[in-house]
Amino acid sequence: MALTRRQFLTLMGGSAGAAVLFQACGLPEQELLIDSPPAMPEDLVSGIDNWYATTNQQGGSSEGIVVRVMEGRAKKVEGNPNHPLNLGGHSALSEAALQGLYHPDRISAPQVRTGPRGSGEYREISWEDAIARLSLRLGELDSSNENNKAVFVSNPTGGHSGLVLEKFTDSLGSRHLSYEALETNVLRTALKAVFGTDSIPEFDIDNADLVLSFGADFLSSWVSPTRYARGYGEFRQGNEHRGRLIHVDSRFSMTAANADQWVHVNPGTEGLLAMSIMQVLSSSHSNAVFGDLDADGVLDSYSPANVANEVGVSVDTINQIAEDFSHSEHPIALGGGSAGAHTNGTQNLKAIYSLNHVASNLGKKGGVLLNPRSPIDGVGAAPPSNSFSEFHRLAEEMKAGNISVLMVKDADLYYGMTDTVDMKVALDSVPLIVSFGGMMDDTTSVADLILPQHHFLEDWGTDVPLAGPGYQMIGFQQPVVRPFFEHRGSNLGTKGFADILMATAQVMGKDLGLDGETFKEVIKNDAERLYELDRGGIVANSFEGFWNGVLQRGGWWDTSYKIDNVPEVNRLDGVASPEFGGLEQEFYIQPFISTLGDGSAASLPWLQAMPDAISTATWQTWVEINHKVAEKKGISEGDVLEIRPANGRTIKALAMPNPAVPPDTIGIPIGQGHRDGGRYSAGRGANILSVLDSKLDSENGSLAWAATRANVTTTGEWIRVPKFENTVPEFPRDEHQDIIQITSGDNH
Amino acid sequence: MIPGDFQPQKPTGTQLAKLGVLGVVLLGVFIGIVLVLTFVISSWLGRPVIFGHDGPDQPIEFPHETHVEELGMDCTFCHRTVEKEAAASVPAAGLCMTCHSAVGDDLEGITKMRSLYEDGRSIHWVRVHRVPDHVHFVHEAHIRYFSEKDGVEAKDVCATCHGDVASMDKVQQNRDLKMGDCVSCHKQNNAPTDCVTCHY
Amino acid sequence: MVDSNKWGMVVDIDRCTGCQGCVVACQSENNIPINLEEHFNQRRAIQWIRIERYWEGEYPDVKARFIPIMCQHCGSAPCEPVCPVYATYHNNEGLNVQVYNRCIGTRFCANGCPYHVRFFNFWEPEWPESLKNQLNPDVTVRSRGIMEKCSFCVQRIQRSTRESERDNEVLEDGDRGLNPACVNACASNSLIFGNFNDPDSTVSKMKEDAMQEGGRGYRLMENLGTDTNVIYLRKVDEFVVEAPHG
Repeated sequence: MALTRRQFLTLMGGSAGAAVLFQACGLPEQELLIDSPPAMPEDLVSGIDNWYATTNQQGGSSEGIVVRVMEGRAKKVEGNPNHPLNLGGHSALSEAALQGLYHPDRISAPQVRTGPRGSGEYREISWEDAIARLSLRLGELDSSNENNKAVFVSNPTGGHSGLVLEKFTDSLGSRHLSYEALETNVLRTALKAVFGTDSIPEFDIDNADLVLSFGADFLSSWVSPTRYARGYGEFRQGNEHRGRLIHVDSRFSMTAANADQWVHVNPGTEGLLAMSIMQVLSSSHSNAVFGDLDADGVLDSYSPANVANEVGVSVDTINQIAEDFSHSEHPIALGGGSAGAHTNGTQNLKAIYSLNHVASNLGKKGGVLLNPRSPIDGVGAAPPSNSFSEFHRLAEEMKAGNISVLMVKDADLYYGMTDTVDMKVALDSVPLIVSFGGMMDDTTSVADLILPQHHFLEDWGTDVPLAGPGYQMIGFQQPVVRPFFEHRGSNLGTKGFADILMATAQVMGKDLGLDGETFKEVIKNDAERLYELDRGGIVANSFEGFWNGVLQRGGWWDTSYKIDNVPEVNRLDGVASPEFGGLEQEFYIQPFISTLGDGSAASLPWLQAMPDAISTATWQTWVEINHKVAEKKGISEGDVLEIRPANGRTIKALAMPNPAVPPDTIGIPIGQGHRDGGRYSAGRGANILSVLDSKLDSENGSLAWAATRANVTTTGEWIRVPKFENTVPEFPRDEHQDIIQITSGDNH
Repeated sequence: MIPGDFQPQKPTGTQLAKLGVLGVVLLGVFIGIVLVLTFVISSWLGRPVIFGHDGPDQPIEFPHETHVEELGMDCTFCHRTVEKEAAASVPAAGLCMTCHSAVGDDLEGITKMRSLYEDGRSIHWVRVHRVPDHVHFVHEAHIRYFSEKDGVEAKDVCATCHGDVASMDKVQQNRDLKMGDCVSCHKQNNAPTDCVTCHY
Repeated sequence: MVDSNKWGMVVDIDRCTGCQGCVVACQSENNIPINLEEHFNQRRAIQWIRIERYWEGEYPDVKARFIPIMCQHCGSAPCEPVCPVYATYHNNEGLNVQVYNRCIGTRFCANGCPYHVRFFNFWEPEWPESLKNQLNPDVTVRSRGIMEKCSFCVQRIQRSTRESERDNEVLEDGDRGLNPACVNACASNSLIFGNFNDPDSTVSKMKEDAMQEGGRGYRLMENLGTDTNVIYLRKVDEFVVEAPHG
């Protein structure tokens, strides 16, 4: 280390001896070395940075990104300005992917468990050995015709990875289940019923003049927040008239904070409100759509007077929203998040999305645009995930000893399933758990065999977005850096997920029927089919030129390939009232996604240290509680609270009172409380998902994750809440020099 | 007490105070000298360059003389990015192999280079010219300026700072490349002397 | 193209959603040390750009306001004259520059800054060995005892101006290589960066539009006369119900 002036002064100040002083002089050896590697690729030159396009599919939403690579190391992620989904912007999750790539706790080679389950004692083995072990067990099941005793649980995987996974499980005859901690099933069921589409449509927020959102925290975490935030910017100041955002939510979310009007409703009554708005519109305006929509006359019983009390808003407010909605030229209604996380979730969302038929905004500018199918047959968006009740059944099967091999990829069942399912006992009953995790997580920490997959920045892939841009597209993912553990040799280190499956199938002598020997070849061969379509934005004389174009742009899209026909109007059903676990408990629990997604991003320190938008809290699990309620109960910030639902399970979290929390509600962020997951997340905070009641959606068996009520008691402990607020003094907000100036009209 | 016996007078309070002050001043001066000396020495040793001796030993004795003077190769043939980028860059061994797969068979350095290349290992050259981390030196801008100003090719600019590397057996630093050196040259050439030109 | 540049930013808080994307982008670009839990607890976390959240009212009539705040690159900066070693000064491109190798850590500048955008390195920055691969080679890692702050990503300004000179190209307004990391990250386009000396640049036009009578433009704490290079555009809210309070 070179002795700087500062260090020098410090040393003298501390009257350290000259020996120390002179030892510190001179330069460290590594600073004096320049590497001259045996060979360097054309584009790898010291001092030059290159930006490579790829696609980030982590956390459920797809984003086109470009990665700055210098001397073989990824330095910076930015949004891909060409990519239809985010047009240049990017989320913190994409940025922090770099920390996933260079995470100090990544698994650098296949592992086999040596100690008891959960002890974390593993031994490194070679890839050859690891794949042999897996294929041996799968082969045994195959030869005894017990293929259904092997189960593959993954995150919802689309694109070519999904294709390989599907072929793999098909060829084995094993089952494949897709797991999401917070399912999008309710949303997908509702969209299917209302618009007849399997994908999530594009909401043209850019050109809308009114967005009526129910429970969907679309600016922070819902579906595709980066894209919606981009649209939101244009919606506010990009058009001649500033758009209005009305947000209906039982929690004061980030989207609520940005709304012109936050309409607080009782949890789970969003659908009732939507029905009531339609009732007002059908009775006061002549709109032909109601002839089809309300053919059964169900709306009559949802007049504002009938539902206002249950919803918890005034009749006037309902009328006002209905008025605003009908007077807007380009209104959009969207819903999700907690509005769909109740026992009546699907019904809620069906009612909410039906408002778009009332506005007849389908296929129109500033409205709802349906997404066409994937340009490559057989390669589609991620399939719907399996519901909570299906996983509950799977857990029972495990406990009964009916599952012999459980393969897990990016699906943290042990973390995400509520404790009422008792996943620990279930997992303990499975003789062989194989994880493809590149990092430890709760489920991987009990695995017997770990086959670490590449980080997505090291791997190939494609992405057919579930929430497409309204026209046909497929995103491409390419390795932007050499695998980080390449130096460990080809028999150690990490491998691409699809390549692991293909290698396993090969060892087992199964033909997956894929067009190519490696995953890259499979993708490239399918890209040739894209080239033969001879449309889209990439014009090339040869396939190689086309292929380079696709990789340079991060994907292929055809802006003219849209869906023109408008779907038929659905028929409205009634919306039931929500049911809750433990009605005698004092508070509704509102779990919400803050900065860590569903918990899968908790290992990344940038995201842990990123302040929550509303509370500015970091690194912890906190409880949003109304400041007056807190005062009455003698709770102040940092008090350790115990959250006690009626099911008897409890967690502890730090009190964080704020003035916007509804008095009967507590909000708790999802994402902490990992048993394992690297140095930045293991044992930190508490996992709210673990204490939820297993209340289900009445129509599709999804977990109603906002349907738990709980009591809150103090424990007498106090821990300082790590938050950004007060790191710097607050600014004065006096009349003349207000730091945030507000104008009542848009006089720009 | 014996009368007449020598008794040192008890120092008065003022005397004690004066003595104290003197002591403190002397101690201060001493510490000051040590400080200044150490500062000077450390800044000399911690300076950005290795200076005043022959230059470091390299893992492979690369004779610039042979390549540049005798064979007439350009600096830019190996230091390929010097005209385009911040770093001049040291080439991959693959570039050496374009010739040395065929020539120079019995030389020790070449045998070593070949074996490293075949094993896929890097050559760890020892850096000769180095500026501290908080200095961002850009070769490209300097080459561009001087070659335009003097109307010469890029290869003829290098010697301005690096000396006559072509005739060096072992590369050594020729200028002290400290901030004073940079700034005086910048002033002579009307180049920006804004701190943020180099420090960010 | 104009002779000299004056870099500046326009921040439209009506577009800002408070998503903190800019904050993480800045951490990544500028080698800002990882803010650990204890750093937040000691109120010593470092964020060159931050989102402040202010409450107005209380449930059910409640609003939360977000505003991104970074170094305002003041034309007459209170931090500059107090530095005893000239480690912070104003350059002729409108940037308030922090020279790390001059700084001796008196923290006078942080006391002087009314916007509280200067952060002190109380510790030697630490990263696990593997995470160091991500560090940006264009930005100096600051050691303990140094003041740091937003530089408008001066490394990008330097790189892109140099590259445009090299290639004999005109540096375009809104060039993504020139934009600071936060500006490129911002999904809602709340942050616009450019050259105020170029009358055709987006920021110049926005500034002219915003600062005229009835426009949305304002400067933070304009009464201090700091002459900032960051222009804010007012939040629009037709439902302002009460006087805001802290």
